[in-house]
Amino acid sequence: MKLSNRYNRANILTSIVVLIITGIIYYVVIHFILTEKLDRDLAVEENEITQYVNTFHKLPLPASYLDQQVSYKTLSGAIPERQFLNTIYVNPKEGENEPGRSLITIVHVDGKTIKVTITKSRVESENLIRIILLITLGITVVLLLALLLINRFVLSRLWRPFYSILNRMKAFEVTRMDTIEQEPTKIDEFNELNKSVNAMAERVRQDYKELKSFTDNASHEMMTPLAVINSKLDSLLQTESFTEQQGALLEDIYHATARLSRLHQSLLLLAKIENNLIPDPQAIDLNEMVQAKIRQFQELLAKSKLILNEELAPAEVKMSRYLADILLNNLFSNAVRHNITGGHILVKLDRHSLTISNSGKVSQLKTKIFDRFSKAADSEGMGLGLAITKQICNLYGFRIDYHEENGWHVFAVYFGD
Amino acid sequence: MKILVIEDEPALLESILAYFTGEGNICEHASDFAAANEKISLYSYDCILLDLGLPGGEGLELLTRLKQLKKRDGVLIISARHSLDDKLAGLDLGADDYLVKPFHLSELKARVSAIVRRKNFDGDNVIMFHEITVDVSAMKIRVKGNPVSLTKKEFDLLVYFLSNRNKVVTKNAMAEHLWGDEMDLLDDFDFIYTHVKNLRKKLLEAGAADYLRSVYGIGYKFGDL
Repeated sequence: MKLSNRYNRANILTSIVVLIITGIIYYVVIHFILTEKLDRDLAVEENEITQYVNTFHKLPLPASYLDQQVSYKTLSGAIPERQFLNTIYVNPKEGENEPGRSLITIVHVDGKTIKVTITKSRVESENLIRIILLITLGITVVLLLALLLINRFVLSRLWRPFYSILNRMKAFEVTRMDTIEQEPTKIDEFNELNKSVNAMAERVRQDYKELKSFTDNASHEMMTPLAVINSKLDSLLQTESFTEQQGALLEDIYHATARLSRLHQSLLLLAKIENNLIPDPQAIDLNEMVQAKIRQFQELLAKSKLILNEELAPAEVKMSRYLADILLNNLFSNAVRHNITGGHILVKLDRHSLTISNSGKVSQLKTKIFDRFSKAADSEGMGLGLAITKQICNLYGFRIDYHEENGWHVFAVYFGD
Repeated sequence: MKILVIEDEPALLESILAYFTGEGNICEHASDFAAANEKISLYSYDCILLDLGLPGGEGLELLTRLKQLKKRDGVLIISARHSLDDKLAGLDLGADDYLVKPFHLSELKARVSAIVRRKNFDGDNVIMFHEITVDVSAMKIRVKGNPVSLTKKEFDLLVYFLSNRNKVVTKNAMAEHLWGDEMDLLDDFDFIYTHVKNLRKKLLEAGAADYLRSVYGIGYKFGDL
């Protein structure tokens, strides 16, 4: 939920509740005041009648004045109490019934007890109350509309710098050296935010630069001695004055050197993928690439007498060709390396996924299979291949999954989604 | 062929020079940017081996310099930087090939030979070795004038051997050359043996002498008897 919506909701709810409560109080108070006034008028009339009776010892004529009626009734039984009550006022001019207010009181004339009923029309005060209510409601509606408009236009304009900063942050790429430009704004908070974002971007960029130069330097410094060892071994081999035993020693050194340089390359590659130093992705025909990879692995398959079955449908993914090659290499090497002599490999490819299953020994790793340097005790690999594969999948938002079923080790890569 | 090796690591430079010297090759070297710049301005080479990280300047600038001088020297970049950006930048600037350290000297020699053959014999890309004639661009082989039919792998293997004639080539280097160095082939390289055996058999059947020898189980040597 957007901040402004959230704010709007709270604002409007509070306004409505407060205005309704105010309206109710307003209504009740005004109603009370007007009734009080009517009652006072009725009391004044009662007073006049009482004084008239006291002076002349007879009742005044039951005349009807404007909006006021007086009636008499001689009582013989119980004497009612003096009371105010809401009644109906019959308007003689218009012949209509209107709401009225009555005062019932008693006067004594010549030993007789007479009930006097004075009735006044309430229609005026009712009208007044109705008008006041309407005005209150009108103000409520206008106020709410004003609030909505303010929120919509003023708030959205106020927040505009925030969204522009947000958009530029989203578009920020560490490899590009452009700064996050300042949007001119008078609001201190946004200026502060802008400054902080720029400072952070600068720091990130600095760290990135240092990391990149560290990667470069580490690679250079470690590869150079390795290159020297390798070239010296090649030179040593040319002297050709070795016994069979020395030859075997040389072969071991060759193996170790190759391993070392491969290990180093893998670590650098991992760092590179994690830091997203991989060039632009391109559309890749995976079907063609998998077929080429199968051809490339032909000798290795033949050596372990592996039988490879393929179910390939056309598939295209968007990724770096270099990484696609590494991904396939690692999955295929894995399927060959952890297989049994005379075993099977099944390669399935469709638009959504690539699945490589191989027969093999029961694995003890399971959950840690994608961790760095986790490998089976008898594996000759370095334990980095699947870690790299996982990283490549993460980079492109692919999902890689491993499970074992009926002695088959199944690796599945799901593209997209 | 005439070669300039630009490399600042003395031990590596020495090995490269030792491997390339002989068989009528002339090798010169430069260990820093200034010396390299002077050499490429004054002389022409069949191939320049260029290390990118040089004291006194960036190796890629030498490529720009070569372009300005309108020289047609072949250039092979040898770099410790396994960066695709560098590779593309280098190839864009006119380098012919890119090799990442550490490399096998035999791989280096094969690549240099390929560059020199492409540069010097436009369209007439032929290697001769005694009675064996290899037309690299047409992928045809003749022994004493008779055509021999080889598979792609056997053909590549033969060209590799001929580029490294009289040198011991390890099975490791051969495997990386034929299957690419990205392939995780650490375990062992015995599957190469089949290809070597078939190549040798076909050459012998076509009437060539037996030039191929196995060396200590590490590798093979293809050379004069």
